[in-house]
Amino acid sequence: MPELLEVKNLSVSFDTPGGIVQAVRDVSFSLRAGETLAVVGESGCGKSVLCKSIMKLLPPSASIRSGSILVKGADITGYRERDMQMLRGKLFSMILQDPLTALNPVMPVGGQIAEAVKVLKPKISKAELKARVVELLTLVGIDRPEERMKMYPCHFSGGMRQRIVLAAALAGNPDILFADEPTTALDVTIQAQILSLLGSIQKELHTAVIFVTHDLGIVKRIADRVAVMYAGKIIETGTAEEILTDPRHPYTWGLLQSLPSCSKGKDTLYTIPGMPPALINLPKGDAFACRNAYALGIDYEEEPPMFRVTDTHYAATWLLDPRAPETDAGLVCCGDHTPKPPDGSSENISKNNAIQNTRYCPARAVYSEIGAEHLYKNTETVDAEVDKNDKHGEILLDVQHLSRTFSIAKKLSVNAVDDVSFQIRRGEIFGLVGESGSGKSTVARCIMNICRPSGRGTGNVKRHVKLQEGLHKAAGKHPDAAADIRTREAPGTGEMRPGRILYKGVDIWDGRQFRANKRMLGTTRQIIFQDSNSSLNPRMKVCDIIAEPMKIWNITPPRGSHRAEAGFQMHYVGLDASCLDKYPAELSGGQRQRVAIARALAMEPELLVADEPVAALDVSIQAQIVNLFRHLQKEHGFSFLFIAHDLAMVEFLCDRVGVMYQGRLVETGTVGEVFANPRHEYTKKLLSAMQRDIFPQTRNKRQ
Amino acid sequence: MRHKIIYVILSIFLLSVMVFYMARLAPGDPLASYYGDRAEKMSPKERKWAEDKLGLNDPVTVQYVRWLDRAFHGDFGISYKYKMDVMEVIRERMGNTLLLGGIGFFLTFGLSLLLGVLCTWHEDRMLDRVICKVGTVTSCIPEFWLSLVLILIFAVNLKWLPSSGAYTIGKEDDTADRIWHLILPMTVVVLGHLWYYAYMVRNKLLEEVRADYVLLARVKGIGKRSIMFRHCLRNILPSYLSIMAVSVPHILGGTYIVEMVFSYPGLGTLSYESARYQDYNLLMVLCLMSGSLVILCNMAAQAISEKIDPGITHTE
Amino acid sequence: MAGQFEIVGMRETAQVEPEQKKKWYEGKPVVSIAVLVLIVTGCLACSLITTKDPSYLDLKNYNVPPNQEFLFGTDTMGRDIFSMVWYGGRISLFIGIVSMVISTVIAVIYGTVSACAPAWADHLLMRFTEIFLSVPGLLLVIFLQAALGEANVLSLSFVIGITGWMSISKVIRTEVRRLRNSEYVIASRCMGGSFFHILWRHLAPNFVSPVMFMVVMNVRSAIVAESTLSFMGIGLPVEVISWGSMLSLAEKALLSNSWWMILIPGAFLVVTLLCITNLGNYLRRNVNRQERNL
Repeated sequence: MPELLEVKNLSVSFDTPGGIVQAVRDVSFSLRAGETLAVVGESGCGKSVLCKSIMKLLPPSASIRSGSILVKGADITGYRERDMQMLRGKLFSMILQDPLTALNPVMPVGGQIAEAVKVLKPKISKAELKARVVELLTLVGIDRPEERMKMYPCHFSGGMRQRIVLAAALAGNPDILFADEPTTALDVTIQAQILSLLGSIQKELHTAVIFVTHDLGIVKRIADRVAVMYAGKIIETGTAEEILTDPRHPYTWGLLQSLPSCSKGKDTLYTIPGMPPALINLPKGDAFACRNAYALGIDYEEEPPMFRVTDTHYAATWLLDPRAPETDAGLVCCGDHTPKPPDGSSENISKNNAIQNTRYCPARAVYSEIGAEHLYKNTETVDAEVDKNDKHGEILLDVQHLSRTFSIAKKLSVNAVDDVSFQIRRGEIFGLVGESGSGKSTVARCIMNICRPSGRGTGNVKRHVKLQEGLHKAAGKHPDAAADIRTREAPGTGEMRPGRILYKGVDIWDGRQFRANKRMLGTTRQIIFQDSNSSLNPRMKVCDIIAEPMKIWNITPPRGSHRAEAGFQMHYVGLDASCLDKYPAELSGGQRQRVAIARALAMEPELLVADEPVAALDVSIQAQIVNLFRHLQKEHGFSFLFIAHDLAMVEFLCDRVGVMYQGRLVETGTVGEVFANPRHEYTKKLLSAMQRDIFPQTRNKRQ
Repeated sequence: MRHKIIYVILSIFLLSVMVFYMARLAPGDPLASYYGDRAEKMSPKERKWAEDKLGLNDPVTVQYVRWLDRAFHGDFGISYKYKMDVMEVIRERMGNTLLLGGIGFFLTFGLSLLLGVLCTWHEDRMLDRVICKVGTVTSCIPEFWLSLVLILIFAVNLKWLPSSGAYTIGKEDDTADRIWHLILPMTVVVLGHLWYYAYMVRNKLLEEVRADYVLLARVKGIGKRSIMFRHCLRNILPSYLSIMAVSVPHILGGTYIVEMVFSYPGLGTLSYESARYQDYNLLMVLCLMSGSLVILCNMAAQAISEKIDPGITHTE
Repeated sequence: MAGQFEIVGMRETAQVEPEQKKKWYEGKPVVSIAVLVLIVTGCLACSLITTKDPSYLDLKNYNVPPNQEFLFGTDTMGRDIFSMVWYGGRISLFIGIVSMVISTVIAVIYGTVSACAPAWADHLLMRFTEIFLSVPGLLLVIFLQAALGEANVLSLSFVIGITGWMSISKVIRTEVRRLRNSEYVIASRCMGGSFFHILWRHLAPNFVSPVMFMVVMNVRSAIVAESTLSFMGIGLPVEVISWGSMLSLAEKALLSNSWWMILIPGAFLVVTLLCITNLGNYLRRNVNRQERNL
């Protein structure tokens, strides 16, 4: 019996004005019915292109250079658009990364699913069609489907929309389902739901799934086999077990180590240095060599072939060549052979740290360090420090009963922030977590005098009904989730003020006090936004951007000129001085965020507010930025309000954490307390959604 | 709903005030349009009598209130130039303009959708490039000059088509003759606006075909053609409709010029004359008509886009 | 060979920069700019390149087709069209630019005020422009021109300028709104940047590109308006030579089938407009270069 899908030596390239981009290079794999194959790699490694090229969904500028795609033994490589149309939906289908844009906004969701059904059965009767749509919606776990099918996508939350996309994709009972990072754009709790839904549907319908992700943590849960992609090639493939417990390629080691749970108890998150190469004009030899601490001489000369490890496990690295030196566990401590990065390179501080901490420490060695008993070893010591601070540290920022109401329509309003109180001490890193729409950003904006606190907190203002309904759905079909919210002591009755924010004892929303302390407030508080693309003026050069706050307050730069100062700050955050005269658009996302950090730090702030500073970045870059934050905070000692939805980052970086849910702060405490012993239902849900189980389990199996 | 009606009435009222005052405050002799050349030879006494008769000596506000009062009773006064009831004069010409402007409008509307789709379908290929180049050139040609050139070629030199009028005298009811006379003016009306809208459709569609939902629709196995028409086109329609509605005065203004060049007896020539010769009553009605048309079209556009686009009602 | 299998670790590899195949002129409207420069210099230096007085009525040689002496022929009043085209171009371009300046100034002020005003005022101001827009522009011009009496170059520019600002001001309003809420402006406010600092350092530079497009297009529509009005006989009188007033003799030209009187000034007009359009389209940048999904 032929394999369901077999890809042989597939190469895909794009013809762009800058040159030919080799997005997929010589990829071969096969897929059996009902099997799940995870394709893993950083973004820009050609994972999505691979899926789209199999379904022939690539734009006209892309072309299949060589290789063949066989479906059930039939070669579809030469199929035209019309032939492919017959296969799509029926044979293979796909769900996309961003559910917010994947549905047509002006078409009822039922119609969009019905459309997919109709394509396959054009003569279906109206009643049958409706029954089928209802059936599909029920399948993906949407209740009240008759009612919901008439609604438009804007009435649904992100998680619900992803379910609907899934329903539309499953309409034709496809044999193969491509899932292109289907959970990346979702909140953590929703991610877990979608994953388990995918799993159950797969069992029910016996669909083969190709799951594209950058997160190896997910792989364990769902995948039977794994293919690791780098620079357009599959560099290692094997069963999930083999890849997770016995990885052979240094890139896979790197990916495993950069899982946040792997860096627990370390100073820095592990990151693979640098970025994946642009796929134009690839360097000679192994594309990964320049990021590979184990690179052999030959890696710079010749691309490694696939070496066989077991019948199912292959890896493309010269380390598996019989002539290569042993690099396994025995080599962990050979410090004397540490290769030094070449001088004058643009390596930055955090990168070097990361390398030193993890060099010559293959993934296998990492496992032994990570066990449940070690989980909080380090954070506890941090807690002890915080306790000390509690006694001696001065309270820098005191948020008292903060509320902020947005009116949506005449009689409806939302309490974006509802009676939130917390304090930040000097030198403390406070993390604020919660799903999107929980009011985290609004808190930051109130603290920075951007939006004014308003409303009077709970009880007085009716919450927007639809919004709440959406949130409940998002939170997983628990309409009574709101009841879980811990009842708190009512705010002072009759108090009309929407809370106060005291910064160094100054009430920042009091007009007189604000004016009197304007300079202090402007210079010692700084903010970093989520999207560095829009928070940097596209028409200003980097050096002007960094020097802007100094110019505003007429501060003489300590290093002579503004330009010299900007150069220093840039070096400090790990940017090359050659970027000084560039415009933000010429930088990558990570570099732009570094510029934003440099701008904030140029003022030597006492309080730094970062509103999801890493959410828009690639995972490996995220870790680099978080490392940088940690490093800078240690040197500067500023207080830091870190807003994120990624618990792992918060756990790693912060001293104390506050959990926000539907505008309220439902839990605060030290990271150790909250993560080890969550009290609130929502926090528990968040924590259980974190994929923290992967390593202890594999360890048990090995024993 | 009530808000909308109030808004319409208020806008029309404001418009009438504006036009009324602007017309009266502009220098010029309304008597000249009533009495023609005789107005110049009048003695001051005769003049006074004539002005009293037409009610031109009262303060402008009084004149306005009087006009408003009569207008409520359906009496819009007489045209000074034609010495006829204003509505009568307008009724005579209305059909011609509706024929030219209306058909021109729908042709522009349909053709620009068609061109836009065609260009998007062939994006960056030969056909798209040629259409874009030709379109840009046509959009740069002033309407009156295009009319002149067409007349020069087809009427003067080739003698295929008539150069002026709406019909041959004596053949008022001959449909074929009317169409014969419409060809040239219609070409100018359509060509003058076509590319502006077609380019807009093209740009919007280009954005649309880059959306993720298109990818999902293709994944579902739907053909490219039905994605283009059932998804993309449908999604740009609300904004396109509202733009088209707003563009009514634009195209109307275009027909005015065309009507003049082709001496086409329509509202365009009429408004031009009434404004030039201070034919107040006629002018008021013409302005109010075009203004209300614009306002109503705006409302219609809004209603249509709300109907199609569920997002609008919720973001507001 | 042995050295090949030793661990050497990370090495800096030269990242080959993708070669820029583009030449400097690619993607720029070079031809349009060149032609425009040619026409503008020709108009400015009209007294140098023309040999005849454009307003001289050569009664012996009226309605002469293009020949050796009269390169572009003469009109029904016996004026040399070759000289008239250059002298007339000067007037047309002048009117285009002056009225562009007038309407841009009004539009920038009105749009910015509307964008910065509280919601109700903004609403009111925008309704006002809508009502203005609902009167066909031509009628408005006729009124105003009648109010100002006999047209001359300045009054005509004024009238065209004052009736052409509405749509630009709408664009400016949305643009200012968008910029005002952009994060870099908020960031600058957080840093304590004053209103003028933000205006000068952040708003103005980002503002220029979309407004430049509108401005260039405004020159175009002003030139069209001038020629249309003059052609209809409510703009410049026949004695004041512009491309529009030259064409106002077209009726007579049609009768005598003198194509040169219609085609030549019109061709100059259209070519100028085309160049301006290309320039404007270049200024409006292509943002979305993402690959299509269909």
